[in-house]
Amino acid sequence: MVDLLKQKNKKSDTELARKISLFIDKSKIDEYEIYISNSIDNEIEIFGGEVESLSYSDSKGIGIRVFKEKKIGYSYVSSFEENKIRDCIEKAVQNSKITNEEAINGLPLKNEYRYEKGSDIEKYLYNEDFFKASIEDKIELSKNLERKAKGKDKRISGVDSLNYSDNFSEVTMLNSFGFEGTYRNTSSFLFLNIISKDKGDTSTGFSFSYERDPQKLDLEKIAEDASNKSLMLLGSKKIKSVSSDILLDSLVASQFLGVIASILTADSVQKGKSLFKDKIGEKIFSKNINIFDNGIMKEGFSSKPFDGEGVNKGNTQIFKDGILKTFLYDCYTARKDKTLSTGNAVRASYKSTPSVGVSNFYLEPYLSHSFENILKSIDEGFYVIDIIGLHSGANPITGDISVGAKGLWIKNGCFDFPVKEVTIATDILSFCKKIESVGNDLKFFPSGGFIGSPSLHIKDITISGI
Amino acid sequence: MLIDKKTAKKVLSQLLGSGGQFGEIFTQRKVSNNIRLDDNKIENASSGFEVGCGLRLIYKDSTYYAYIDSIEEAKLLESAKILRAAVNNSNINKPLALNDSYSSYNVNILKHPDGIAPEIKKELLLNVNKTARNKSENIFQVTAALSDTEEEVLIANSEGVFSKDFYVKTFLAVSIIAVKGTEVRTGYKSLAKARGFELFEEKKPQEVAAEAADMAINMLDAINAPVGILPVVIGPGFGGVIFHEACGHGLEADAIVKNASVFKDKLGCRIASEIVNAIDDSTLPYHWGSYKFDGEGSPSQRNVLIENGILKSYLLDRKASKKLSLPLTGNGRRQSYRDIPFPRMSNTFINTGSEKPELIIGSIKKGIYAKEFSGGQVDPATGDFVFGISEGYMIENGKLGSPIKGASLIGNGPEILDKIEAIGNDLDYSPGFCGKNGQSITNEVGQPTIKISAITVGGTGA
Repeated sequence: MVDLLKQKNKKSDTELARKISLFIDKSKIDEYEIYISNSIDNEIEIFGGEVESLSYSDSKGIGIRVFKEKKIGYSYVSSFEENKIRDCIEKAVQNSKITNEEAINGLPLKNEYRYEKGSDIEKYLYNEDFFKASIEDKIELSKNLERKAKGKDKRISGVDSLNYSDNFSEVTMLNSFGFEGTYRNTSSFLFLNIISKDKGDTSTGFSFSYERDPQKLDLEKIAEDASNKSLMLLGSKKIKSVSSDILLDSLVASQFLGVIASILTADSVQKGKSLFKDKIGEKIFSKNINIFDNGIMKEGFSSKPFDGEGVNKGNTQIFKDGILKTFLYDCYTARKDKTLSTGNAVRASYKSTPSVGVSNFYLEPYLSHSFENILKSIDEGFYVIDIIGLHSGANPITGDISVGAKGLWIKNGCFDFPVKEVTIATDILSFCKKIESVGNDLKFFPSGGFIGSPSLHIKDITISGI
Repeated sequence: MLIDKKTAKKVLSQLLGSGGQFGEIFTQRKVSNNIRLDDNKIENASSGFEVGCGLRLIYKDSTYYAYIDSIEEAKLLESAKILRAAVNNSNINKPLALNDSYSSYNVNILKHPDGIAPEIKKELLLNVNKTARNKSENIFQVTAALSDTEEEVLIANSEGVFSKDFYVKTFLAVSIIAVKGTEVRTGYKSLAKARGFELFEEKKPQEVAAEAADMAINMLDAINAPVGILPVVIGPGFGGVIFHEACGHGLEADAIVKNASVFKDKLGCRIASEIVNAIDDSTLPYHWGSYKFDGEGSPSQRNVLIENGILKSYLLDRKASKKLSLPLTGNGRRQSYRDIPFPRMSNTFINTGSEKPELIIGSIKKGIYAKEFSGGQVDPATGDFVFGISEGYMIENGKLGSPIKGASLIGNGPEILDKIEAIGNDLDYSPGFCGKNGQSITNEVGQPTIKISAITVGGTGA
């Protein structure tokens, strides 16, 4: 449908960025930064054996950040026309007039980077084979997944959603301190949510997979996971309210970890929005838990050579043996705490200003603990397969978490019966203290950054039922 | 004018040139401004300009879509040519003559927000900050964001639709953190309308700040929420999110077509308690979820969804309307020119009843009053939902008691609709954003005070 090769061989936007910098009236501003993104996206939705929708886009945009007298202004534009770019610069200058003046505002300097440029992560973000799959191949692959999923079991009544999407993007940055950088990224994502019905009961189950090259997507595994999840939950019943051990599936555990990740940014800490404020050096987890934010992990989908303001990314250990070691920093928050930037300035797109966020954030697995061994160690408990309402049910500021859950009841180390319509409630600090065991099955969940956790066994959690 | 009829006709002819059955052009130009106050200072001011076009082609049951960040004729024609390569059918349709569409929705914007000086916006946020902090010494942090957009949209399709719209939207959100000892509580309020800066004459930004602050302060004395099945009274306004999530999404016709909704084959059936009347109305003047035309150029309208407990209508876009042979309802919406439209709610609410709210609360011996929610989630295929209560109180012997924290409600949409026992006379609305399939759109939820006879409350208390 589109000539991807033309895009692949296109020159980077560094020339364009240099040209834009010439439009900037240096007498009106002190420092500037130009961020250009180019992105090609394909999305395929399959339903009933046919293409329900197929969409293609080739989009681009420029974000311009300026500093004048230590005040910040931002503006973006989706057009590369010269007059539009000039208007964009002017808007950024106007916006800088109303923001707060602070001595620590400004672009990052080289000596403020925590990490040296030492990795060759660029070459892992981008896979040439990505361009070998045609749109027809991708349609066929998606249809194939639907067939596989439906063929798993007679009780599978249909597919709720089956979406394939992929992206080729290129980010280019330039700033007035002489920084110039660019990187390319390819990714393909396949998501499946299926519906099972039996004896008047309905249940759903989802699974997904990410690869740099669509041909590497493991269809069999996606179909298997989604159908297993959905079938396991058929015939589930409500249970009485109880306090019990829970075993979080790795994907569920990752979602809980995401809530914790959001309050480990220096921004939330400095503004008093984090429970971890003043807790550096304290043992937060009772067990020897290690948590990393690794921005240069080869297999990480949030990996990049540099962050949203051009600072080198690296691997930051946040918790070591359960003890809080550091927060995540961008340049501004690092200056405030008189430390160095960990390369955690993130930008969702050219439309957003950089802010502090996670990259590949994960809890290190215990290599010797298999899921089966943990399950066997639980006399009575609740294996949580899926949660809903985390977005509204978790308040990272107060620490309260209350979410809807479904899964399987555990008795004497084995699955007993499926459970639905219960909530599990805790607060972040108790949750950390109550982690009893960690599995070896690390999985990543995309939410903001890329958040990963193995299965977690948690002691004594309130389950609310009938 | 984004594009004229002549250009539109050319592009549509190009689109249908390979035998597609429906072609559409969605062009948009949008300016936006965002200012954010946090930690006592204006932290960020950002502006944006976007222009672009989305082209849609339908053949049989498949939709093909492409967008570009341009509205130049040559580029539109080129994209149309690329897109039509997806279809190969010798039976070629010609697009019908384009006629200006009519909508009854007409509003008058007085103070265009893009024209308001940034300094005035800054003052507004500083005032919000001051008002909130003056409410109590327990106010620890104030975050406030003011955003506005002005956008021009033009939609033309091969069935002769030529719809022009101009939207203006203004949004103020205030988040508060209150701290007392080791207790940390949050409050949130927003004010959002499909209108200009005159919206702040109707309601002062300081009132929004005070309400958000009160919420956080009230919650400082909260006790742990109880666990188990209880009667629950849900307050007016944002309480309507429960209907939006637990029922509204299941009425969006794409879920019906996919056999992924509990409300499939239920038109004309009783799906709720007899006292329930529910409406989706995209014509309420200046409301956050209102519009002149939906994302497919169909005029906005008022749709009765449930009448006396009987299901009357789904929410449809063009595709579902054809598939289900049901009339259009004006609910084919999209986030921008980058997105394919599909059925969405606009301003969706449970209509007003007759009971006095205090009598509804008075009828409960032990239960919960859920005033505000932090949001919710539903699985439309099963109807199972969860809502987080952000401001809630115990009801003891017919009176409001202690505030409760960490509570959520869990249940099943169809079951809960049947358990609505009383509906108040105090209908109110609340603005928000709804996300579905990666697209975020503006809408309002609404309801009067309602009573649900029994629902599972998930907390950590006894």
